[in-house]
Amino acid sequence: MAITAGLALLFAALLTRQAGVHAQSPAQNQLTVYSPRTSYSVPLLDMNGQPYAGLVELLEPLGSVDARIDGKKYKLHFTPPGGRPLELQFTGGKDKGKVRGNGYKLPANFVLQNGRGYVPLSVTSQIISRLLGSDIELHPAARRLFIGSVQLRYTLELHKDNPSRLLLGFPSPVNPTIATEPGRVRLTFRREPIVSSGPENVPYSDPLISGATFSEHDGLAELDVTGTAPLMANFADGGKTIIVTGAPAPPPVAQEAPPPPPAPANPQNPVPQPRQPATPRFLVLIDPAHGGSDIGAAITPSLPEKDVVLALARRVQHELANRGIAAGLLRNSDVAITLDQRATWTNAARPALYIALHAANTGQGVHVFTAMLPAANLSPQGFLPWDTAQAAFLDLSGSVAGSVAAELESRKLPNATLLAPLRPMNNIAAPAIAVEIAPPSGEVDEIASAAYQEQVAQSIAAGVAAVRAKLPEVRP
Amino acid sequence: MTRRVLVMFAALALIALGLTFYALHLKRKVARDEQLAAEQQRALAPLTNGPPTPVTLYIASDSDGTLRRTQVNVTLPPERTERDRAVLRALFGEYLQSSSSHPIGADADVRDVYLLGDDTAVVDTNAAFADAHPSGVLAEELTVASIVVTLNANDSKIERVKILVNGQERETLAGHADLRRFYEASNIGQVVKDLQ
Repeated sequence: MAITAGLALLFAALLTRQAGVHAQSPAQNQLTVYSPRTSYSVPLLDMNGQPYAGLVELLEPLGSVDARIDGKKYKLHFTPPGGRPLELQFTGGKDKGKVRGNGYKLPANFVLQNGRGYVPLSVTSQIISRLLGSDIELHPAARRLFIGSVQLRYTLELHKDNPSRLLLGFPSPVNPTIATEPGRVRLTFRREPIVSSGPENVPYSDPLISGATFSEHDGLAELDVTGTAPLMANFADGGKTIIVTGAPAPPPVAQEAPPPPPAPANPQNPVPQPRQPATPRFLVLIDPAHGGSDIGAAITPSLPEKDVVLALARRVQHELANRGIAAGLLRNSDVAITLDQRATWTNAARPALYIALHAANTGQGVHVFTAMLPAANLSPQGFLPWDTAQAAFLDLSGSVAGSVAAELESRKLPNATLLAPLRPMNNIAAPAIAVEIAPPSGEVDEIASAAYQEQVAQSIAAGVAAVRAKLPEVRP
Repeated sequence: MTRRVLVMFAALALIALGLTFYALHLKRKVARDEQLAAEQQRALAPLTNGPPTPVTLYIASDSDGTLRRTQVNVTLPPERTERDRAVLRALFGEYLQSSSSHPIGADADVRDVYLLGDDTAVVDTNAAFADAHPSGVLAEELTVASIVVTLNANDSKIERVKILVNGQERETLAGHADLRRFYEASNIGQVVKDLQ
């Protein structure tokens, strides 16, 4: 019985210690590791003036890991897939250890902290190389580590058409984050092992595209294409080619031709931001929430809110066009727009109605929101305070919300009309509603189904059309 | 092999088997105890000694988008801001239960409650509260509304509430609910009626 109790205590102690291992302080920066199987990030801690990486975090994605601590001694067994266990031994505060039974000297002392073992970043490549027997390439300043021949080298090809096009070629499909600003497109590669294939700075003597620059830092790679005019990036060849070219001159929103049929969310098709309309007319401005690095809610691990609402926005635009109502989108691609920008652009476009679209994986059905603001006796034509501009339009906003809810009800879609403390709705100087769609039933994936989105889009468009006469035309 | 050796082997095998089962049992027990301890810690032990006092909590439910009024017993400190904090920690404790109808970030907590004058409370939450909060207009609104009306229900002098994250003003809770503003309990009261 005494033996059993002893074993139990030992077992419990081990379990408790393992639990403690998973409760460390947050990382200060990260090392990105690219292997043939996966890409992952390892938190780096600054110790003794240099970055250190945790051995368990470094090796766990590459095989199974069993780490134990006995006093200051740290012993780790790493088993690569289909291989046999390999042992590493280090001692806290000492620079000597063993890797696979052979002596190994670290450039700085091994660190034991909170039950975890850390080695200097500079030796991570050697340790993995000794364990896996693969070629390892470490870019220490950029915090990037490549296992085997995983590097993807890109090609640049400038076509001097009208307008000029810069073709970025990749050996396999890529999916970078694309950010645009005047005269510049930036592609950020977080998970793809993109490396430079030649000079990092390539200048062009071209009237449109002036150069391309590769850089890597903080565990990611970036390609910056600069130009003399607004640029846009499109994907081609199944994601193996990105074409950077001049963005078309934006037509004023109010003069838009009827939109094409809705297509699935395509984050690689940037469209210019709306401009102030030249002539008065009835304009609905649709704001698909989030975009760029702001994904909104993760509806599923592979379905971000930003994509769901962009697809829905295109459907709403199409349904409004079917009813003879011009509508513009605040974003028609995967770009990040701040809340203040959304409000500023909307107010500059002077729409008859603003509709923000959101999606969530909690709850059920469709929620239609108006701003949660105290009623204020403000003239919509007068000077409006930024934080409460919407207060002057609450009655009209409520009418639209009620009309949309009635249309949802007529299509037997679960719905509710609520007030919400939602930005940037408070700052909108026009009638405004926000619509948040949740799955129609328990199946989260249904939120992206064409049939469901079509019903919601029809309800919104029909609801707007029903109260159109109450809403003001766009002010000149 | 003699019969005696065979019997000994059999006995040792039985003991080994028994120890394996016992070890597995202990492993599960330790995991269970740790989870329970974590939940209890989050659910907040009383901050002070004294008799438990009934407090009113407005608990959000994601499935039907409602707020439900309920009462729990919490030992409250005598100091007003500490009392308000204890009430909110009891509310967070409900949301941190594994069976919560409105789960929030695992380590969410209320760092402090400050009073500006007699009627305005500033609730300072930790980063985990906002960083790991489920994103969504309704989900975030339910959290904000439940904080404001719970405070008002237990400290009726509080008419306005501002929520900070780690001592700083934040634009939104998790991408939607506005955290730059002061919330009026009377405004939220209307929302709560809609949500009930």
